Amino acid sequence: MKTYSDLEYLKLSKGKKFLYKISRFFCSIPQKILGLFVALWNLIKKGCSKVKEEAVDIFSTFVNGDWKTKVSFLVMGFGNIARGQILRGLLFLLFEVVFIGYMVLAGGYWLSMLPSLGKVGPSEEYDFVLDAYYTVYNDNSFKILLYGVLTIFFIIAFIYTWRVNVRQNKLAEQILAKGKKLKSGKDDLRSLVDDQFHKTLMALPLTGILIFTVLPIVFMILVAFTNYDGAHDGYYSNLFGWVGLDNFNTMLNWNVNSGGSVQSYAATFGEVLSWTLMWAFFATFTNYFLGMFVAMAINKKGINLKKLWRTVLVLTIAIPQFISLLYVSKMFAKNGIINGFLMSMGWITEALPFWEDPTWARITVIITNVWIGIPYLMLITTGILMNIPQDLYESARIDGANPWQQYTKITLPYMLFVTGPYLLTSFTGNMNNFNVIYLLTGGAPTNPAASSAAGTVGYTDLLITWLFKITQGAESQYYLASVVGILVFVVVALISLVVYNVLPSIKNEEDFQ
Amino acid sequence: MSEKNITNPMKRHMGLKTSRAIGNTAIYALLICISIIWLVPFVCIVLQSFRVELKGPVGYVLPKQWGLDNYKALFQTDFPRWYANTFIAALVTAVLQTIIVLCMSYTLSRFRFKMRKPLMRFMLILGMFPGMLTMIILYRVLKDLGMTQANAVPGLILVYIASSGMGYYVSKGFFDTIPKSLDEAARVDGATRFQVLKKIILPLSKPIVIYTILTAFMGPWGDYVFAQYISFGTSAGMNVAVGMYRWLNKDQIAASYTMFCAGGVLVAIPVTVLFMCLQKYYVEGVTGGAVKG
Amino acid sequence: MKKFLAVLMAAMMMFTMIGTAGATSLAGTYDITVWVAENAVELTKTQIENFNKTNELGIVFNATVEAVSEADAATQMITDVEAGGDLFCFAQDQFARLVQAGALAKLGVKAAETVSAANSSGVVAAATAGDTMYAYPLTADNGYFMYYDKSVIPEEHIDSLEALIADCEAAQKYFAYEMQTSAWYLAGVFFGTGCVSEWTMDEEGKNFVSVKDTFNSPEGLIAAKGIEKLVKSPFHLSSSSGSEFASGAAIVVTGTWDFNNVQGILGDNMGVADLPSFEVDGKEYHLGSFNGCKLMGVKPQVDAVKAAALHQLAQYLTGEQCQLERFEALSWGPSNLNAQASEAVQANPGLVALNAQAPYSVPQGQIHGSWWDIAKVIGDDIKAATDEAGLQQALDNYYDKIAALFKLDNNALLFVGAWNGWNNADETDTFYFKDGVLTLDVPESDYMGGRIVNPGKWDTDKGFAQVVTGAELIQDLGVEANPDNNIVFAEPGNYTVTVNGSEITIVKN
Repeated sequence: MKTYSDLEYLKLSKGKKFLYKISRFFCSIPQKILGLFVALWNLIKKGCSKVKEEAVDIFSTFVNGDWKTKVSFLVMGFGNIARGQILRGLLFLLFEVVFIGYMVLAGGYWLSMLPSLGKVGPSEEYDFVLDAYYTVYNDNSFKILLYGVLTIFFIIAFIYTWRVNVRQNKLAEQILAKGKKLKSGKDDLRSLVDDQFHKTLMALPLTGILIFTVLPIVFMILVAFTNYDGAHDGYYSNLFGWVGLDNFNTMLNWNVNSGGSVQSYAATFGEVLSWTLMWAFFATFTNYFLGMFVAMAINKKGINLKKLWRTVLVLTIAIPQFISLLYVSKMFAKNGIINGFLMSMGWITEALPFWEDPTWARITVIITNVWIGIPYLMLITTGILMNIPQDLYESARIDGANPWQQYTKITLPYMLFVTGPYLLTSFTGNMNNFNVIYLLTGGAPTNPAASSAAGTVGYTDLLITWLFKITQGAESQYYLASVVGILVFVVVALISLVVYNVLPSIKNEEDFQ
Repeated sequence: MSEKNITNPMKRHMGLKTSRAIGNTAIYALLICISIIWLVPFVCIVLQSFRVELKGPVGYVLPKQWGLDNYKALFQTDFPRWYANTFIAALVTAVLQTIIVLCMSYTLSRFRFKMRKPLMRFMLILGMFPGMLTMIILYRVLKDLGMTQANAVPGLILVYIASSGMGYYVSKGFFDTIPKSLDEAARVDGATRFQVLKKIILPLSKPIVIYTILTAFMGPWGDYVFAQYISFGTSAGMNVAVGMYRWLNKDQIAASYTMFCAGGVLVAIPVTVLFMCLQKYYVEGVTGGAVKG
Repeated sequence: MKKFLAVLMAAMMMFTMIGTAGATSLAGTYDITVWVAENAVELTKTQIENFNKTNELGIVFNATVEAVSEADAATQMITDVEAGGDLFCFAQDQFARLVQAGALAKLGVKAAETVSAANSSGVVAAATAGDTMYAYPLTADNGYFMYYDKSVIPEEHIDSLEALIADCEAAQKYFAYEMQTSAWYLAGVFFGTGCVSEWTMDEEGKNFVSVKDTFNSPEGLIAAKGIEKLVKSPFHLSSSSGSEFASGAAIVVTGTWDFNNVQGILGDNMGVADLPSFEVDGKEYHLGSFNGCKLMGVKPQVDAVKAAALHQLAQYLTGEQCQLERFEALSWGPSNLNAQASEAVQANPGLVALNAQAPYSVPQGQIHGSWWDIAKVIGDDIKAATDEAGLQQALDNYYDKIAALFKLDNNALLFVGAWNGWNNADETDTFYFKDGVLTLDVPESDYMGGRIVNPGKWDTDKGFAQVVTGAELIQDLGVEANPDNNIVFAEPGNYTVTVNGSEITIVKN
């Protein structure tokens, strides 16, 4: 790889600059990975020293502190209450009581079961008198895993709060030693709408994210290391347990499950992934350029009824996709109205295989996606196009630039610069565009060679719809779906990383302010 | 843009005028084509909903016999209940989600605190996990809270709004465009942060507020996969998508397809009307925010 | 088997001791949820009302009846058994999944006896896994036949697949036969040429232990050629919806449930017939079909009393009277023998067509849940094939996937020991060969033999006839008494069996 100096770099054409940047990025990957390990090592070192620091601090607080502080080590908030900060103290105390109560009543049990995920499965009993079977349910692996993780979250929160409690005692002692006054409960409340206003604003959203996003994701990742499926649902059929890395081996090993002509999961994954990337690329850029084109057409000087055109297009956004896409899917069917129309006009003698042929199906999906996507892009680009300073065009016209030159020299660079971040999110969003594929084709037509033990795989299946199919398949292999989910994350993260490193405009958040 | 601008050119640009006229004609032709393509599916759905002679899917577009039977039939089913469920969910979500998103984006746009960057990065990474599988867990959590099946609506609302904090990008982008000097001036005058938000920022943020309300309101109407999990075989807790989707089951489609279309038309009405009225703000919001996130 | 008998004996003793005292304790009010198909909701409500009024046990059900499609009841139930319907109806193909997921309660001894006696043997087998009955037969009409448009298809062509395809292509009308998206329809073609796919479950009915599947065979190739004719026609439509008649179809292969729908569309032009024959290499093969049923299951209960009450209701709902009511209101073909014998049922045109197809249909036994996904792909695979090798490839793909289901190496063999004679699941043991070598203990018994099986195939090419070393250790029963090429040891003991290609070595340790 040739390395250019700054001057040489500036002389390159735009395309070459871009290629150069990308290749530089890939060349720097080994270095970056090394850097990552170094950073990780530093982080661990830093973490260790931090822990040591904290421990020393806690210890010295205890040794040097007065009796109020010492009691606070056991009874949280005692020091606050004793020093007159009743509100804070009560909150600390309440938290401790709730925590201990929870751990005694439930948390301890969940935590102790976490390593085994349950010991006794359900058993079927027979009642002689009634001549009926009934079931005795015992441990619930699912709940053990879920509430086990939740308990760990809770313990971390408790340790953090306890640490804050200790630190506050130390601070309070210092403040009092200097002869100043402590903040009262009223001051605390006031600061929540002023200095600490961000904490107030974010408390609720962050709690929601923690419970309804972070917890499920942690759970989902853990499922990949278990054998949770339809026949081991953890309660009704059989318990599930830890299986280590077996599932990753199943999914990523080229030799597993590859009897004869049937693909291994790894090969199937590769195939689905390549189509997913292809789809995301086309879906993003066809929409982008065609949307921009339509917006420019509508915005052109001298075009009337602008509002009407926009409204017509915007209908696709307003009508729920499960109605419009299902109908479109039927329109393209072998005996749908499009084929019917073409045949009745005599243009074709037999139906076009919109959904039957792999290539046709892929193209049809992308075209239909244009139908959905153009309105959004039209709306977004309309505003930006209006923001482009008109004098740029004026001077270009005086220089004799034709419309195409104006487009490539002014409009496109401006658009690309401003919408760079949008393009990235829309690319990753399209990779996970479940609705369009699920409602239009459901993944069809099927790929016969693909490994099917976890449900059929089709030529238009994206990773996300495949994942869904795995959970809905005959064996409901949640553990495998979870592995796919983790791999999707890895791919998306990798792409984002590359783009972040290549596109400068994304990083500089403050530029726009 | 009125006709006058075109018919009032400078004389020496006669050539330009004709070429522009040709260009405009081409664009009109194109726009008409596009409009037809975009409208065909909707027109077809509307036409199907008035078909009386057969209730299954057919190969022609124009009904042979017109009538309101399908709309009447809708009210013999649980459709009104599903409609009410969805409407309530959409309404409550629109209000609560807007509050949460605005809190989050305002904070991240205006405050500089220690955990800000790590937090944003963390949420970005969280967003890269496919949410599909987490549904299974969310279902169990909601079940333990008693918010599934017949009580699915509160459960749905809870899930919709709980994670909405992660969708702060667009409105943060919008807030970033409001000059910070305004806040600082007010702060110097002794206003608290809360007062700054209430008195200065919010009045300037009408487009983004409306944009957020609109997107939040539209979401619940189309949700199928998750809503299906939560309502789990209980008609009383379904939303329109889940309830109506069942009419397309193999054993049901022959008797309910036109009813599905009629339901679809009714579902589309509120969102479409709202969208048409507020389109202007949507555009302002999305251009102000989306591209700068 | 022995366990089962013990339970039976104990139950009978208890019954004689307690008499009816146990039964009266069922009285009470129960809140339950019932899942049935959308069009049966109203009728089921009425029937439960009738049960409440007429039962002599004092049982009152406060039932919520929900519409859940019989086609995806299993997917729904497996998501969360606890929240699922206490009683639910499902199509037979989901039976194995439901048993595995612990979503079906076993029938009591008496209930199983009553139900077995009242219903045809095919549907009883459909509700039984291993030795245990898990569900109540609801209908026996889950089969398919051919509907056609008389204005397009001449009467004399309905016996020949080739003529029908030609008619459709000439008229530019579609031939709807779900060959690419459903194993249920596709498998019929294979049955027509004599192929089988028979699956064996363990005693509890929770696991599949072996399969006898001959789709990948010369007969299978003939079937593939038949399918090829259909799927390669530009006017083939992979659908089984009667509504296709309104969208340009001239023929639809579907079942009795579409009868009223098709009649509404075609009116007097509607024709019904058994499936046609296809011709390969000058020989005619009549298309076969699956012959299945719908079942009603009871969700496992924690409370034995509620469980017993629910089983009473399930028996009532699947009894003669309710089946007849369902036949009258919805044209569902009954599984109850008495109901089947009624005149109205005998005269129903849909059921008549189904009966015409009956000689060519195969009872749908217990099939591995994944088989449906594996087999349905054959249609697409055949469509993509360009020559005979391609067709064979499609069958190879299918076979490989079946083999993979048992999570074994393709070349692995297993030894099914039948120490007490065949067909006695209790005493049959399965041993897996490792790298072609197996060490096994043969106990003293009447039949100290077994069979070497290639999982996924019911091979007989590795057995008695291939033993080269150690022939003195096994009995020669002759081909007549040993058609399956079994290896029967002369005396009990510990043996090492080695398979190397087509040579088998047996050494006594």
